[in-house]
Amino acid sequence: MNRSEVYVKDREIVIPGQKIAKGMTPGDNVYIDKEGFLRSALLGLASLEGNKVDVIPLASAYIPKVNDLVVGKIEKISGGTILVDINSPFTAVIVPPRNNKLGLEVGDVILAKVKAFDGMSSPLLTLEFEGLGKISGCVLLEIDPAKVPRVIGRRGSMLNILSSKTGSEILVAQNGFVVVKPRDHRSLMAIMRALEVIQEESHISGLSDRISKLLDTILAGGS
Amino acid sequence: MLYVERRPEKLIDENGLRTDGRRPREMRPIKMEVGVLDRADGSALVEWGGNRILAAIFGPREVHPKHMALPDRALVRVRYNMAPFSTPERRKPGPDRRSIELSKVIRNALEQAIFVEKYPGAAIDIFVEVLRSDAGTRVAGITAASLALAEAGIAMRGLVAACSIGKIGDVIVVDPGHDEDMWGDADMPIAVMFEDRVITLLQMDGPMDESQFNEALSLGMSCCELVYELQKEALRRPFVFVERKVVGGGQTV
Repeated sequence: MNRSEVYVKDREIVIPGQKIAKGMTPGDNVYIDKEGFLRSALLGLASLEGNKVDVIPLASAYIPKVNDLVVGKIEKISGGTILVDINSPFTAVIVPPRNNKLGLEVGDVILAKVKAFDGMSSPLLTLEFEGLGKISGCVLLEIDPAKVPRVIGRRGSMLNILSSKTGSEILVAQNGFVVVKPRDHRSLMAIMRALEVIQEESHISGLSDRISKLLDTILAGGS
Repeated sequence: MLYVERRPEKLIDENGLRTDGRRPREMRPIKMEVGVLDRADGSALVEWGGNRILAAIFGPREVHPKHMALPDRALVRVRYNMAPFSTPERRKPGPDRRSIELSKVIRNALEQAIFVEKYPGAAIDIFVEVLRSDAGTRVAGITAASLALAEAGIAMRGLVAACSIGKIGDVIVVDPGHDEDMWGDADMPIAVMFEDRVITLLQMDGPMDESQFNEALSLGMSCCELVYELQKEALRRPFVFVERKVVGGGQTV
């Protein structure tokens, strides 16, 4: 058994191709080269947990995965299919069941689940689960899909701060669309600003504290 | 005023200096910046001597026309384009023989570095726009595009650094400038995935014997190392700035 070596600190920014470690378990966005070095495949943050090495991306496109919950915007309705923008390189489709009008119109925002995606043809969405369907009376915001885990936080901590402080309902979908039912105008402004800050500063520790403070100041009437 | 290009009497003077005052193994100043275009998924601006090169990445995104999509990997498309005002005399806009060839050469140099199999059915579009040209645009373009790819969050085996090596008489010079490109004896652009020492582009225009070639190749590697160090710094810089802003004071990473 080889002794394991680590060349970077936890949460250090790594460049594509940079050697991170040797003799450890490769996780997400890490590949092993011919000499057995674990190297980053992305520009991101190295994350070392126990024996496992991951790279947390700093930017990425949303590639659909089966069973992901996504928020989409109806883009086009034609014949038997509905085309949905899911903030991804791929436009998703919904095929409504026969004789079953879903009552969707262009511009509607929906919560859906990815039913099938083979990487080639359009991802197929479904609404046939409890709680899925049209969402009305809300604001649709967009964040970088790579930052979705940051906005949710560890066990939902960040999302908790955001929704409890602003008294708003917030839904963060895997694809980077954020649906907000704000309490009032000021809380919406606070959420929008907080999302900006999370995307910009997520690589620096102490994020939750900063977001807490930021929300407090904006909600108290500051800027 | 009529622009007349004139060959300098000597490309290397009696003091061993080149027409722009550099020594044979001295590169031109290089400046790199990423994230210069907000609308693109990734972008970079490289100022390399008199070159000004803008690279932009869109992707992974849906392929249009659809029949071009590849079932097992991403389609990488490169457009190398020179602006009409990029050359000493106005250049007719639009693709020509040279820019079509360079697009292909740059695509080949970058495609090997990208994990194309991670994005089946998608397209990665790379745009290399030459705003001002001063010899060595293809290597500066590859350098810029590689930075932009990393900034776009596209999975790669490593960054591609590139540099050009020239020959004047019997002297091997690094990073030939405009005069040396026009009237020099040979030039050899090299692109390397530096971390792996894998050469992804090697062209040679003009004659070189074996020992000259070997010298040029090893010099090229050293130059690419320098370019690679600058690339790494350029990619980290925006994050360092944000960190300074947040953490404050003179603390740096």
